[in-house]
Amino acid sequence: VTFEIEIGGRLRMVSVEALPGAGRAGGRLRLMIHDRDAGRGAMPSVHEVDVTCTDLGLSLLYGDGRSVDAALTEQRGGEYLVQLATADLTVSVDGRRFRRGAGHTTASGPQRVTAPMPGRIVRVLVAPGDDVAAGQGLVVIEAMKMENQLTALTAGIVRELRVADGAPVESGQVLVVID
Amino acid sequence: MRVVAGRADLGSAVRLARSEAQTAFGDGAIYFERQIVSPRHVEVQVLGDRDGRVLPFVERECSIQRRHQKLVEESPSVAIADETRAALAEAAARIARAAEYTNAGTLEFLLDASGRSYFLEMNARLQVEHPVTEAVTGVDLVQWQLRLALGERVSVPSAQALTPRGHAIECRVYAEDPDRGFLPSPGLVRHLAVPDGPGVRDDRGVTAGFTVPVYYDPLISKLIVWGETRRQAIARLTRALDEYRVVGVNTTLPFFRWLVRTPEFESGRFSTTFLDDTLADRPRGFSGVTDRDQQDAVAVAACAAWLRAHRAAADVPASAGAWRRTARVESLR
Repeated sequence: VTFEIEIGGRLRMVSVEALPGAGRAGGRLRLMIHDRDAGRGAMPSVHEVDVTCTDLGLSLLYGDGRSVDAALTEQRGGEYLVQLATADLTVSVDGRRFRRGAGHTTASGPQRVTAPMPGRIVRVLVAPGDDVAAGQGLVVIEAMKMENQLTALTAGIVRELRVADGAPVESGQVLVVID
Repeated sequence: MRVVAGRADLGSAVRLARSEAQTAFGDGAIYFERQIVSPRHVEVQVLGDRDGRVLPFVERECSIQRRHQKLVEESPSVAIADETRAALAEAAARIARAAEYTNAGTLEFLLDASGRSYFLEMNARLQVEHPVTEAVTGVDLVQWQLRLALGERVSVPSAQALTPRGHAIECRVYAEDPDRGFLPSPGLVRHLAVPDGPGVRDDRGVTAGFTVPVYYDPLISKLIVWGETRRQAIARLTRALDEYRVVGVNTTLPFFRWLVRTPEFESGRFSTTFLDDTLADRPRGFSGVTDRDQQDAVAVAACAAWLRAHRAAADVPASAGAWRRTARVESLR
């Protein structure tokens, strides 16, 4: 089976093959990682790993003896939070793409900017019909005593503005639609 | 508000500001104040008793901020010479005395590049960053709040409060994702491993199993490290940060691990705009920037996805028949 795995906008195709004995509790898997963004002619890397399930996630033992102890937490939107010894990475599997942040690739079609958390709209920075650039601020949402600016992922025109100053919003609520 | 860089810009800036004020407020009155470029944030802890005695402490430096919220505090400030320290402490004590202030409190100042200080505001309470002052002076500020409330007089010697012993740094561990502009990351803390060792203190109100709620400031803990020198404190902090694990939510830890290794932090050359400038210029995240971390995370996610699919297939009910079950399992080979 092949999975499409994305970290910070960088896409990799990973083929996973079970070696004898692999099952629900883990075992040996062969991974072929093809980094689509590494440029033309880049060869996929192949790793054989022994996988063990742990309380918090997975432990991997590579063929060269190196081991990785990772905590795995499934997050809102189907992304995984993968926590290594000193690094936290948000990983999406099979097209569950990042919706926020600069530099991330996006699927085509209208962009629906949603509230990442419950809160209150303190400022609306755009109006319907406005041209917006990628990274431009759209609305400022206040939650947890902090103001957070939500930005446009890609350039476009503001088609719909579904909130006003002072409006309370729920997590996941669509605030702005850009096309 | 208009910034005027030189004499040539003054006339037009005044006209513009007047007209804007007239339009917005119906009053064209304006005033001037000095613009402080890239200031540092320094503050002076005080204790005031009912007899009117105000004891000032060695300053805290809190310039590493995002959106005017402090993330890292230390004491003493590398930017303050001994004579400035005495003058700042005296200024703070004078303000608190004039207000007849009792209790623990903090006077905040901005410090410009030439070392001049400007009073900002007073916080009439104990602050989040008070442990760095406790660490370098050996004074228990919370205990003193209670003693002052009971009517006791401040009896800490002034030299003890003003002379730092060693250096202390605090990092605020928030449930926030530094790679998404420090957006709050509420959720369940599944596991917590807190560092300790010489000079390491961790103040927290969270244990494994706690859910960081969406409604409040998502502070998980405060990691405070003391060393005989700033260099030693940074070395201990670096080690403690690498050992700290908060599983289940994003935290500011990866950002701190990056920060303590930067030349700016090592030399102490930063201002309140440091972090916002850094975020604006930074194309990559603070966490998982090495190829090895990326590869490991990809491998972990792929294995997890395979295991999940395998289990789902294996869990096809027996009533589905052996052929279908076998087909599901085989399809994952």
